[in-house]
Amino acid sequence: MTWIHVYLLAVGAVVTAGLSVVSITVGLAIGILVCAASLSRAAPLRWAARVYVSFFRGVPLLVLLLLIYHLLPQIGIDVPGVVAALVGLTLCTSAYQAETLRGGFVNIAPGLVEAGRMIGLNATQLLVRIRAPIALRLTLPALVNEGIMILKASSLVSVVGVGDITRTAQNLSSSTYRPIEMFATAGVFYLLLNVIVTRGGNGLGRLLGLPRT
Amino acid sequence: MMDLDALSDAFPEILDGLWLTIFMWLAGSALAPLLGLAVALARRFGPAWVDRPLWAIVEVIRGTPFLVQMFLLYYGGPFIGLDLEPTTAGLLGLTIYGAAYFSEILRGGLIAVPKGHVEAALCVGLNRMQIIRRILLPEMTLLVLPASVNMFIVLLKETAVLSIVTVPELTMAVTGFGSANFAFTQAALVLALCYWSLTELSGLVGRALERRLDRFRIA
Amino acid sequence: MSGDVAITLRNVVKRYGDHEVLRGIDLDVRHGEVTCLIGPSGSGKSTLLRCVAFLEEHDAGIIRIGGAPLGFDERPDGSRIRLPITEIARVRRNIGMVFQQFNLWPHMTALGNVAEGLRQVLRLHKREAHDRAMAHLTRVGLAERASYYPSQLSGGQQQRVAIARALAMDPKIMLFDEPTSSLDPELTGEVLNVMRDLAAEGMTMLVVTHEIGFAAHVAQHVVFLDQAQIALEGRASDVFRKPWHPRMAQFLETYLDRGASVLLGN
Repeated sequence: MTWIHVYLLAVGAVVTAGLSVVSITVGLAIGILVCAASLSRAAPLRWAARVYVSFFRGVPLLVLLLLIYHLLPQIGIDVPGVVAALVGLTLCTSAYQAETLRGGFVNIAPGLVEAGRMIGLNATQLLVRIRAPIALRLTLPALVNEGIMILKASSLVSVVGVGDITRTAQNLSSSTYRPIEMFATAGVFYLLLNVIVTRGGNGLGRLLGLPRT
Repeated sequence: MMDLDALSDAFPEILDGLWLTIFMWLAGSALAPLLGLAVALARRFGPAWVDRPLWAIVEVIRGTPFLVQMFLLYYGGPFIGLDLEPTTAGLLGLTIYGAAYFSEILRGGLIAVPKGHVEAALCVGLNRMQIIRRILLPEMTLLVLPASVNMFIVLLKETAVLSIVTVPELTMAVTGFGSANFAFTQAALVLALCYWSLTELSGLVGRALERRLDRFRIA
Repeated sequence: MSGDVAITLRNVVKRYGDHEVLRGIDLDVRHGEVTCLIGPSGSGKSTLLRCVAFLEEHDAGIIRIGGAPLGFDERPDGSRIRLPITEIARVRRNIGMVFQQFNLWPHMTALGNVAEGLRQVLRLHKREAHDRAMAHLTRVGLAERASYYPSQLSGGQQQRVAIARALAMDPKIMLFDEPTSSLDPELTGEVLNVMRDLAAEGMTMLVVTHEIGFAAHVAQHVVFLDQAQIALEGRASDVFRKPWHPRMAQFLETYLDRGASVLLGN
């Protein structure tokens, strides 16, 4: 174990962090849309949202990644493994986030919305000013959790050749014959990233005046 | 199109893979909560000095990817005299991984049992073991059911990761077939549908179970 | 029989951190009597009751149940020793407790709740435990609800099952911690009636309650707690008719305002 190894793993950590940040962010955007569909008045939209959430939560991420990695070239989209990895991670997390957000919306105390209606807010104002902010406050802890989940799940992108922490540790382990040191150090990097996400979530929670968890 | 002859040739292997997946899942689902319960009970009722180290182990397992843990166990194990068959290593890894999560779920359940229910048991004269066995464990089971069902489904999905350390379960069997016949996409699609059905099915069973236990819940 | 003493407290002190919730309580509860503990919220009455059940451990002083020290004993030199857990359990066997929140076990039927102690503690056979539990459910008027789960019972019914559960262990003393406080007003009557019957049968009862009417009519002995001390105690008629203590008068006034004067029969 030399500093070179730690450096290479740190580069892998940057890749892992990048993949996680992009997929969480894009996943949130898609999750909001899917959540809106699941709360929509149109039954086909609700059904589509249900199937979407059920499928992407029900299939192991590894299988999803393999599917996308092989499917994209077949339908004429030839992209590097990292794009397939991003697509897989994003679809997976978007389904989880949609479900979390839906829970937030459904659990808003009706009295809070009624109070808004009584002071004369219209439907759009109720959504933008009352319901969405409250739902976000309710779901922030779950979203932070989701961030940690996707951080760990992103280790699976190593199977489609993306050089994240896990892939780097694998390469180093086979070139140095020191799997214990390499994978243990990889674990430490994941723990460090976890701490960063948790701290960030707590900071955001304080900004929003949430009770500490 | 998928080569049907090739598929029928590979079918027994794929079926074996499916059985192994189900076996690993059920065995892990039986062992992980037991080990998790032992950890939860030790942390809650054991001597104070066991709490810190157990907390640290649980947090490390919950904070790192299952894949990295499996690599450590499977490739690192032989260096410390732990030379395991892939399937044994897989079951061991799955159990330890699941136990860490279950210990937190069950510990939360133990804490969530209302204090008054334990006090009532003390007043009726039940002793410590009786209170754990007759009051805390059953009430906890009720409280942790939804989270546990979730966790069982997580375990099912994590069994797919075992293919990377060459456990010949469903994912390995199907992708092996796919690479032998250049039918990756079809193979992956079939695989996805298999897992989807399994997770949906277990979700249905879990929700039915929750409904059955609803009458025990005091609003 | 009302001569001998069922519960004795001598100089009982309870603290939470720096905060004294009981400041040297002396109290005697006589056999066969109903003693009501009343007082404003935060006066320490529930803590006092929980100390008598040893659900809270008192920090100083001594509590005796039927003469036997509860939880702690004093050596001749005045130092305190904690009694072994089996001894605590043995003394506690004399006591039945009814809680404000009922605390029925949700995974057992009404019958299961009542039979639990008979089976697990008294080690009775299934049949005998069943019969005795049934008898106690009948006594509180809930025989036909035996197979119901707590979630399927009203609050008043749950509390009556809780009373049956405590009575099944054949206690010498029954403690009630605000037994009607979490019930809707129309459900308090059924619980108070069961308690009234119990008192008429000569059960020794120590009751923390806000039901001034119950205290005035059923209790022989009323204890008014205020600011962690006993401010006033005596026979119910004396305490309620001549509330010479200014805090007691003030406390009663809030109840008289609510129409309790009718109940007091003034």
